Amino acid sequence: MAPRNPTGGRRRAGLLLALSLWTSGAAVAAEAIVTAQGDDRIDVVDLDSGKVLAEIPVAGSPAGIALSPDRRTAYVTRPDGPGLAVIDLDQRKVTSLPDLPGGPLGIGVNPRTGAVYAADWYAKRVFVLVPRDDRLARDGEIATGASPSGIAVTPDGRTLLVANREGNSVSVIDAETRRQTTLIPVGEHPFGLTLDPDGRRAYTANVVSNDVSVIDLAEGREIARIPAGERPYVVALAGGRGFVTNQYAGTVSVFDRTTLKALATIDVGDHPEGIAASRDGSRLYVANWGSNTLSVIDAATLKVLREIKVGDGPRAFGDFLR
Amino acid sequence: MRILALTTAAALAAVVASTAQAHGPTRKKIEETVQINAAPDKVWTVIGNFQDMSWLPPVEKTEGKGGNEVKATRTLNLKGGATVDEELYKYSAEKMSYSYRITKVDVKTLPVNDYSSTIKVEPDGDGKSKVSWDGAFYRGYMNNDPPPELNDEASQKAVRGLYRTGLDALKAKVEKGS
Repeated sequence: MAPRNPTGGRRRAGLLLALSLWTSGAAVAAEAIVTAQGDDRIDVVDLDSGKVLAEIPVAGSPAGIALSPDRRTAYVTRPDGPGLAVIDLDQRKVTSLPDLPGGPLGIGVNPRTGAVYAADWYAKRVFVLVPRDDRLARDGEIATGASPSGIAVTPDGRTLLVANREGNSVSVIDAETRRQTTLIPVGEHPFGLTLDPDGRRAYTANVVSNDVSVIDLAEGREIARIPAGERPYVVALAGGRGFVTNQYAGTVSVFDRTTLKALATIDVGDHPEGIAASRDGSRLYVANWGSNTLSVIDAATLKVLREIKVGDGPRAFGDFLR
Repeated sequence: MRILALTTAAALAAVVASTAQAHGPTRKKIEETVQINAAPDKVWTVIGNFQDMSWLPPVEKTEGKGGNEVKATRTLNLKGGATVDEELYKYSAEKMSYSYRITKVDVKTLPVNDYSSTIKVEPDGDGKSKVSWDGAFYRGYMNNDPPPELNDEASQKAVRGLYRTGLDALKAKVEKGS
């Protein structure tokens, strides 16, 4: 975790360096950027103190979230806009509200090019937007399967993965040609899609078949199915384990990433949705849509350490930690 | 969907219809609370048995199996003959909280789909308790253009009314000491 006070003991000598670190974003304390859909707002939560640092109003039922490669900008979907919100996380304010047709929900960012991909829940397409002169400009769309939901991009920026909820499949898309290269059948109604850090395996949470599909990208196929709880929503990875929010069960299922077997179940709040691991893999943060809280889980002991109160209907569907 | 909740004005019917066309139903939630002038333990004694919903006025009889274990089931026989089938999915005597879902109900009885609910008791200072009852659900009609009795407003009103009736009756029962 980044130091809370970047100036530390060597106050004078370190000041310039500290300032430059601060402005580059490197010294930002860990934060969760939570879409509080029922309150039409984004909560910025300091994960050390558990305090909400800022409440940013965003109309249109904000739901999905992704961060720019430098982690200084949040892109939020507004299904009832419909459109996106672009948020400057250092200034903690909305800088633009691009309109989009359809029902934008899932969202991802290309870690190399910074391109933003927003899935249209009501169609078979993903919108592409590119940052240009401090604005986000529409730049075509990509055909997918039915009801595209979770999105992930490989670390090399070359491959885009989209979970097709109604299509029971994952589209593997060449980011440059913008064409689907493979369609991988998975469980029933995959929603969240999570890629491991080296881009070798992807995991989908299948809301109807109550399990997780494990995809080997080199082989281009599903290699395992791991049982989860009722209505799995999103998978997060920490160390050698995977963590799955089970929306209807109010739990997080834990599985082993080597044996691909279920390990444990953790009680969290009501209707858990978004989940993400801290960068060091020691904590998991879960947005509980029903109880309006973030549950903090110790990744080693699998205990809930605390509950942080946030706005109404937190979803945090996507990459919401920085 | 906000527009659906905010207005039923006929003049906006066309706008509402086109919004519904694009969206379909979204999940709603309701929470109601009551403060009871009794210790949490005492309140939990009344509501903590999943197999006994006699504190809820419309319920004539509770039949079920599995006690207070996860996956326990119960059928609420309501006055007038309707039934509601429910299943327990979380139970904690320590936290004085349990969660259940409805597995079968006629939308004419309660206009909801995919309904789940949690009821819990917490201390509220000075020997008092706070009871919270919340639910998450979709409206009674899952397709576009719901009839008025099965739309978002109707389902929210029905659930809110149920919780209010239940919590107010619980308060009266516990404070009377019966």
